Amino acid sequence: MWLGGPTSYLDEPEPLAPGLTSGIGYAPAHHGELIQGVFEDDAGRLRRALVTMPLPGRGSRAVFYPSQSHWGVVGPPGLTKARRAAIYTLREFAAHPAPAKGGRVEITSNVPHGIGMGSSTSDVTATINAVADYHGVSLSREEVGRLAVLAEVASDSVMIDDRVVLFAHRDGDVLETFGHRLPPMIVIGCDTDPGRSIETLSLPPADYTDAEAGEFQVLRGALRRAIAAEDVALLGKVATASARINQRYLPKPGLETLIELGLRHGGAGLQIAHSGTVAGLIFDARQAGIDLEGCVVRIKELGFTVTDVIEPAPARQPRKNPRQPCENPRPHAPQPRRPQAAAS
Amino acid sequence: MNRAGSFAEATDAYQLPRLIRLAPNLYAACFTLMKMVPARFILRRAAERGLLDPGTVIVETTSGTFGLALAMQAVHLDRRLILVSDPVIDERLYRRLTDLGAVVERVPAAAAAVAGGYQAARLDRLEQIMAGLDASFCPRQYSNPDNPRAYSTVAEYLVECLGQVDCITGPVGSGGSMCGTVGHLRALLPECRAIGVDSHSSVLFGHPDGPRELRGMGMSLMPDNLDHRIFDQVHWTSPGPAYQATRQLHQRHALFMGPSSGAAYLAARWWARANPDALTVVMMPDEGYRYQDTVYDDDWLAARGYLDQPLPAEPVLIDDPAHPSGSWLAFDWDRRSYDQVMSKAAMSGEPG
Repeated sequence: MWLGGPTSYLDEPEPLAPGLTSGIGYAPAHHGELIQGVFEDDAGRLRRALVTMPLPGRGSRAVFYPSQSHWGVVGPPGLTKARRAAIYTLREFAAHPAPAKGGRVEITSNVPHGIGMGSSTSDVTATINAVADYHGVSLSREEVGRLAVLAEVASDSVMIDDRVVLFAHRDGDVLETFGHRLPPMIVIGCDTDPGRSIETLSLPPADYTDAEAGEFQVLRGALRRAIAAEDVALLGKVATASARINQRYLPKPGLETLIELGLRHGGAGLQIAHSGTVAGLIFDARQAGIDLEGCVVRIKELGFTVTDVIEPAPARQPRKNPRQPCENPRPHAPQPRRPQAAAS
Repeated sequence: MNRAGSFAEATDAYQLPRLIRLAPNLYAACFTLMKMVPARFILRRAAERGLLDPGTVIVETTSGTFGLALAMQAVHLDRRLILVSDPVIDERLYRRLTDLGAVVERVPAAAAAVAGGYQAARLDRLEQIMAGLDASFCPRQYSNPDNPRAYSTVAEYLVECLGQVDCITGPVGSGGSMCGTVGHLRALLPECRAIGVDSHSSVLFGHPDGPRELRGMGMSLMPDNLDHRIFDQVHWTSPGPAYQATRQLHQRHALFMGPSSGAAYLAARWWARANPDALTVVMMPDEGYRYQDTVYDDDWLAARGYLDQPLPAEPVLIDDPAHPSGSWLAFDWDRRSYDQVMSKAAMSGEPG
């Protein structure tokens, strides 16, 4: 996809105004969802929504090199959604005193693609943040969510990183805020179907029954309590119930085996990527004597790939000054996903 | 769901029960008018589906609180309501229904002698009325799947307030409240036990049909909304123990509820005492005002001999629901279908 003027987009970025070199944005990945289904909004309408399971160790970093002279938005050829996000975000800033017309997006990411860790939302959100950063503006989290849905059709809620929300992922708005953070938990992430890749938008939206809508209502009530009371055991039951309902739509191989394995090792339940192949065994981080190593060994013996062990995030840091490029915003050094694209 | 404490409609204020702790592991879910949960949900859904045009008349057969809930909701919707009732309808309820604008028809007393009793006669009359109307909507609480569906709101509220619920006990009539609440709850808590409380001479769980004095539970016809596979255990009580338990609820806990609440309390208290580590919730469908001249009148109770027998400490566990004997019975239903239980009971009833 290429939109814009006649200029060759393979040119080197043109010289920028002094002090404004580029815009930088970062967005974390996620490890699927704690719950995904249909829920009533304030007007009583049923809406598709989810609660994201954050994955602090992985993410995407986007750099936006602006162009004042042409409208083209270029970037990694495979990342259509990120380029679309840049276009939508540029449109937001059309009335800005010194807007960029177009530009180039570079993305570095350590988020695996196609297994439900939100690689595309992460790329899209990082891109939106990078374009906003170039314009010296910090968009609200809700605004970023709205733009991400515009670019992606369906987006997870990684941009809303300061609270736990029920996010209408096809509309980009928050149906309910449950609290400031999830209770302290350890999640052993694994890939239930190694080698399989799922394109989110190729999945037909789940056609939940009326009875399932009633069940999601109960899960929502339980989630309110679990987050308010920091009750990991209850949170695990909510996630497990949502995973079981989802088996009708995108079945995970070995789901019941993994649920049972987690419970046998003192776990609280299982969360899944409802549009991917990853699953996570949930443990209460405050609980003594959890045999995490033994559990990891058993998961591997069963033929699943262990992807991440998610530990409780430290207390949230205030947002970093977006003008200061962060060289290594996360423990693992990000690997360029498509170096040939980034080098152009 | 509205938790703000102010409501746009009176019927919205009736949706959720008050949760009252009766013992360390026993909560009562007390409704002012539990039937409002399905009545409001069914009528609002019908309106959403375009089944309640301004000229449409709502018709239903009821002699109890479902009719009252419909009448209240019909006020909000500004629709006509015709209720087909039997002659034993409470006179004060009748006055309240008509004050709400409902037309109440009573089937003749002679219908009681025919098979199916008043319930069958009411259904016949309902069909006649509907045939004579241009546009009508019948909520059909006994077969409408929106009746159990409505109780997801109650299940949501229970888990939000209590987190873990190990057992729900409640009276059974249409099956809507127990099957709806427990059915939705089990998506989260599959182990949660369900104890249904029925009255003697009710066909719901296999008793032979017969006259019943105890109101608010039990049926002469099998409702489609009763999913027997929900229930782990079923209790039957005769009026005496139910009335005494109703009074104890009032005397010990200041809870002024109807006799079906008392019957459920009897079973729930017994199970909660035997299972101190499990959290039990008992459903209490309505308040005691309609029973002030009966259950809450010592002279009335004494004249009928209900005070002669002490309240039993525990139920008699039976193994054949089709051949009941005793005032308070319990049977392990074990989440089986009606046919599964009855074919087994028939076999064990064979001599030899």
